[in-house]
Amino acid sequence: MMLKLGVFELTDCGGCALNILFLYEKLFDLLEFYEIKEFHMASSIKEHDTLDVAIVTGSVSTQRDLNLLHYARNHSKYLIALGTCATHGDVQASVEGKIREKLEKVYGTRANPMKALDSTPIVQHVAVDYALPGCPYDKDEIYQVLMNLAKGVEPPTKDYPVCVECKLNEYECVLVKRGIPCLGPITLGGCNAVCIKSQLGCIGCRGPLPKEANPASEFEILKELGYDEEYIRRKFKTFARGELRW
Amino acid sequence: MSIEIEAFTRVEGNGGAEIIIENGEVKDVKVKIFEGPRFFELLTLGRHYWDVPDLEARICAICYLSHSVASVLGIERAFGVEVPEEIMLLRELGLLGELIESHALHLYLLVAPDLFGYADAIRMASKHGEIVKEGLTIKAFGNYIREVIGGREIHGINVKPGGFGRYPTIEELERMEMQSEALLKLARRAVGIFANQEYLGAKAEHYVAVNGYLYGDELIADDGEHFDYFKCIEEKTLPYSFAKQSRYKGEVFMVGALPRVILKYEMLTPMARHLYEEYKEKLAQGYVSLNNLAQAIELVYALERTKEIARALLDKGFEGENVPIEPKEGEGIGYVEAPRGVLVHHYRIDEKGNIAYSNIITPTAFNHAIMELSLYEEAKKRYGSSDEMTFLQKLEETVRAFDPCISCSVHVVRL
Ligand code: SF4
Ligand code: SF4
Repeated sequence: MMLKLGVFELTDCGGCALNILFLYEKLFDLLEFYEIKEFHMASSIKEHDTLDVAIVTGSVSTQRDLNLLHYARNHSKYLIALGTCATHGDVQASVEGKIREKLEKVYGTRANPMKALDSTPIVQHVAVDYALPGCPYDKDEIYQVLMNLAKGVEPPTKDYPVCVECKLNEYECVLVKRGIPCLGPITLGGCNAVCIKSQLGCIGCRGPLPKEANPASEFEILKELGYDEEYIRRKFKTFARGELRW
Repeated sequence: MSIEIEAFTRVEGNGGAEIIIENGEVKDVKVKIFEGPRFFELLTLGRHYWDVPDLEARICAICYLSHSVASVLGIERAFGVEVPEEIMLLRELGLLGELIESHALHLYLLVAPDLFGYADAIRMASKHGEIVKEGLTIKAFGNYIREVIGGREIHGINVKPGGFGRYPTIEELERMEMQSEALLKLARRAVGIFANQEYLGAKAEHYVAVNGYLYGDELIADDGEHFDYFKCIEEKTLPYSFAKQSRYKGEVFMVGALPRVILKYEMLTPMARHLYEEYKEKLAQGYVSLNNLAQAIELVYALERTKEIARALLDKGFEGENVPIEPKEGEGIGYVEAPRGVLVHHYRIDEKGNIAYSNIITPTAFNHAIMELSLYEEAKKRYGSSDEMTFLQKLEETVRAFDPCISCSVHVVRL
């Protein structure tokens, strides 16, 4: 039997929805198991049906986002929070200040007719079954999760830092060898250390490593390299806000 | 009474429209951009210039590299840094990859289903699998270039002030040269397909573009003006939209593929220029739906130009060295042609290298007014004479011709 799939986009850059289309042939493999009922970037079909799987990307940044999120949750068996916007809030959630102050700075008025909210990740509002971070996530990950769900297998989760992937690829450590601020040691791996391949430091786009991360020692290392505290603080919170376990 | 288009489909981001009807006539149309604001200008304020292009990339996934490049150009101008030609050529290569990826996505996956009468490309694939597959192949090639130059298909951080993290290899450039040659045939065919679309929407009073084909140091318009964006373009805030609207000298204007090919046809590569001449009169009609045909011609341009640049770099060889940057106080604007049109990144930077002011204007924000006018004219023409389904469908097709990128459009600000 075909499973019913919906892709819902809240406030974001569109990348996490787009990345699904970047699966190319693999997308057609998925379509052997899934029927798309809602995916406004790709299709004009909208069937307000009960879904087996709802994928939600983006952060809650307006009242409309919140309503859509509740709709998706209430109409689906599994809900996947996809991408760092959905799992940690991403860059928009790191902008400091209250919504009306921010609106005033940008639109010149504190009025809020469109009901903008301070951005928050969706995991803060509803229970999610799977959370796959990444800005954007690695597309094979979502492919695997959807395939596993279709076959009734529990999808595996990752729990190692980006550093592990650097070692596997035998990339030279940019932090130790070149003094470049790299968040690899405290960032969840799964991107195959792609930024270190470019000899640049990890900027933390997959969010903090859940358990063993040691942000305090990373902080000390960066301070010793001569970066000031404000710089480090901002770098730490870019994708995952302040309250996360950096 | 009013008719709502709750949410545009097959476009990037969240937006809709309200068509206001009075006494059986279309009175007004409001294009509502309800994608939430993400406050990029506030996000970058106080940040070190080196990190800014990576953050700005997150404005939009479909054109992340245009944002990185515009950001880098703005920063380099603020510091008075000039980079050698090879670095500019590599950046251009990245922008071409993005144009290929974005236009292929738009034409084959989002617009083609309208022409063939399907709700999406996936359903269209059962009968017209060839076309969908061709589109995906071209798109994947564009993404390959983005990956090599930008560091990743989406949100790579390889484009940096002064140069790159990693430079492409000979093999990668050779592959680009070969594949662009092979795909040209497919792109030429696309021009034929999209030449047959009906005329939809309004005609813009003006066209605006960047002076170079994909990047430059000022804007140009159809009236011969050369200008900085803040001189002739005015923005205003709307109560029903997170995106502002702008006017050129008080009038509605358009940016994007159609303005580009018309204003800059002399810069087109041979085959693209030939195709432009062939359809010149049609394009001159100016209806916004012709943007699709212009995009198809640009696919040919981008593939030809990719080949040219890859070959030139292979022949000349390149150093692969970055220009060192000493932060100092300054101000600079980066002008880039994102796939959907003019993109502006404007910064003031303090003596420590931190951002003191930033302003970003994206193509969809520039096009907001002409988009609204187009829906108005299309709705006026059709209201009452076609059934509601067709009516709404045609309005959606009109919006789609702009290839709107709504996520992009909501960051407009002046501090
Ligand atoms: S997580 Fe990153 S790529 Fe995904 S939607 Fe958010 S900003 Fe875009
Ligand atoms: S290396 Fe870091 S910044 Fe780069 S993709 Fe991986 S997690 Fe994201």
